[in-house]
Order: sequence, then structure tokens, then C-alpha cells
Amino acid sequence: MGLYSGWISAYGFSYLQAAGWTLAIASVSALCAILWGAILLFMRIMTQPWGGSWLVDAYVQLFRNTPVLLPIYLIYFGFPLIGFVWPAVVCGGLALILQNGAYVSEILRGGFKAIDSVQFDAAKSIGLSPWKTFEKVTLPQVLTYSIPALGNQVVLLLKDTSLLSAITVVELTMQAKVLTERTGAAYQPFVISALLYLVLVLICELLFRLLHRRVRWR
Amino acid sequence: MEVTSGDVWLLAQGAAVSLILALASISLGTLLALLLTGLAFVRFAPLRYLYQLYIFLIRGTPVLVQALLVFYSMATFWGQISPYTAGAIVLTIYVSALFAEVFRGGVLAIPLSLWDSAKSLGLPRLAVLRKVVLPLASRYSLPPYLNVCVMAVKASSVLSIISVWELTFAAREIIERTLAVFQVLCFAAAFYCVMCFAMDRAGRHFERRLMAKGFAEERL
Repeated sequence: MGLYSGWISAYGFSYLQAAGWTLAIASVSALCAILWGAILLFMRIMTQPWGGSWLVDAYVQLFRNTPVLLPIYLIYFGFPLIGFVWPAVVCGGLALILQNGAYVSEILRGGFKAIDSVQFDAAKSIGLSPWKTFEKVTLPQVLTYSIPALGNQVVLLLKDTSLLSAITVVELTMQAKVLTERTGAAYQPFVISALLYLVLVLICELLFRLLHRRVRWR
Repeated sequence: MEVTSGDVWLLAQGAAVSLILALASISLGTLLALLLTGLAFVRFAPLRYLYQLYIFLIRGTPVLVQALLVFYSMATFWGQISPYTAGAIVLTIYVSALFAEVFRGGVLAIPLSLWDSAKSLGLPRLAVLRKVVLPLASRYSLPPYLNVCVMAVKASSVLSIISVWELTFAAREIIERTLAVFQVLCFAAAFYCVMCFAMDRAGRHFERRLMAKGFAEERL
């Protein structure tokens, strides 16, 4: 254990910094992914009448059946070739958003399908505008149904940020890798990183549990 | 430089390695998960806590960190091991935690009244397990089981980072040689899609056969 306390005093700050990066990447990507998922679902519903929803369907299937590393490499190695030179964090974040957006749109679709269509007729019959219907009828119910699943997805996203270490982003995993190479310690850095991931995951789960409770009692 | 048919053949070989790794970890992981599920339902509480701790540790940390941890610590404690062995171990452990939760959910989904009727029939414990729990729980857990199988194929890509030569590693290798990022990654994505779809289809086919015998319920 003495080894670990020495470690923490020597590298504690760099670990905190790396954890901060992980948290920042995960939270920004999670917010954008939820937004992107909502947009995808919206496009799907809008294009349904004229049969355009297969496009969103194809997108979702493509991203659900390929590992996250592929879009990460695609954006990081491919975009500079067509003239977009972005920092690695942006490339990785974008890949996470594109991938998780596909999952989020499916989660939200499940929540949307769970609403009885009679409710929309009822909303119309009491003279609610489309926007009011969305705000008062659709949104609260979709949120109630899908927040637990969204929480799981955000935890998956948080863990997937570790893959950005493959494209030189210095987050928790990369920090551990750097420290093994610098100090020659074989596994201790990874244990510390793993513990920090566990803390972040716990915080995330707690947050979504609180959110769910809040939405449910409204 | 252009992508040649030789490169596509390399990718196909990589895909085969990915598939073998995934299938090996799925079969070993299923066995391990069955033991773990047993652990989740024992009377002795500390063993149940042990189960929960295992699930929490495995599901709360990224596969990549687990892979690096096993790869490096094995090298220290065990002596040099091949990345393939380390990769298969990590994938098996990861998948076993997911499977165990799936199976546990399957057991919990058995209606309470069925437990009572099994008891009122006076079935011995082993018969309850064999005639009630196993057939029912396997029906309930088949759809999420298939999802985890697809996840196993996708998770195998992470092992490329600990230098396991599989589909993603092959793709990266070819990209570094030819710089044809989009073509190579499209091929790789196609291989992954085919593998995942094939697995999903095979599973659904199996499910439909069970359904024909009256074993599984219609999926929405």
C-alpha cells in the first residue's frame, strides 16, 4: 500500500487532470449524443409518411453493428485527408456522439412507442397546439420511460472514452499508460485509473437516479 | 496507394480472428456466467455480495483498462503471455459479467406462482432446477443474450490496442501502409456488420425454432 500512497502524492495531480478530461469529454459527448439521438428520432418520425425513415434506420443499424473504434479512426485519420484538421479530442468526441446518438435514438423511440396513441387524439380534442402537445404530453412520458436506459448508455459512453487513448488524447487510460512507461510500474497505474472510472460511473448512476426520481414525481 | 484484393483478404483473415476470439469468449463466458448466476442465488449472503462486487467491478470499468491491466500484470506475475491469451481472458471475464446479469434477469422473470406450484407438486430441488428454472430462464434470457453476443464481437476490436492482430488491427495496419482510410474502414465496417448480423440472425432463427415448439414467446 505504501507504493500507492507514494504514487498518489507524486502523480495525484496528473490523475485528477486526466479524470477531469475524461469527465469533460464524457459529459459534453453525452449531452450532444442525446441531442443528436433526439434529432434522428425526429427525422425518422417526420420522414415516415413518405417512406424516408429507412435512411435513419440504415444509419442506426450501421453504427449499432460496428465497434466505436472504427468511427474514431475514420474521423481521426480520414478527416485530415479531406481538409478537416481537428484536435484529437474533437475527432474522438464526434465519433462518440455519432455512435451513441444511434443508440439514444433507439432508446427514445422505445419510450415514444410506449405512449398510447389515444393520448395524441385526446390532446388534439382539447385543443392543444402541436408544440404544447409535445411539451405537456410527449416529452414528460418519453423522459420517464427512457431515463434509466439513457443512464446505462451514458455509462457505456463514459467507459468508451477510454478508447480515445488510441488517438493520443490524454485521459485516464492514456495517463495510466504514460505512467507505466515512465515509471516501469506494471499494473498499479491501471488499478488507480480503474478505481477513478468506478467513481465516475457511480456518480453518473447516482445522477441519473436522481433525475429519474425528479421526472417521475412531476 | 490503392487497396488491393490482397488487403481485403487480410481484412477477411482479421475478421476470422475477431470471430474466433468472440466465439471462444462467448462459450467460456457462458459457462462462467452459469456459475456466477448460481452464486447470485445462494443463501449465504457474503457470496451474493461477492457476486455483486464482481459485476460492479467488471461493468464499471472500460474493457480497455481491463485488457491493459491483465496484459501487463500477467507479464509481471506469470511471465510473458501472448496478447491473444490475455485478450481471450479479458473478453471472457467481461462477457461473463454481462451474461450473468442476463441469466439472473431470466431467473427473476419466472412468475412467483410457478415457484409455488413447483413446490406444491413436491418437486425436489434438482427437478425444479431442471424442469422449471432452466427451460424458463433460458427462454426469457435469449433475446438479451444475443445482444451481448453482438457486444462481444464489437468489444473484441478493443483488443487491437494490446496488439492482438484482428480485424481492427489489420485495418489500421493497411491504413498506415496505403492511407486509404475511407475504403479500408468501409470494408472493416462491412465485415463487422456481416458478423454481427449473422450472429443476430442465427440467434433469431434458433429462437423461432424454439417458438415453433412453443418454447419462446413472440418478440415485438
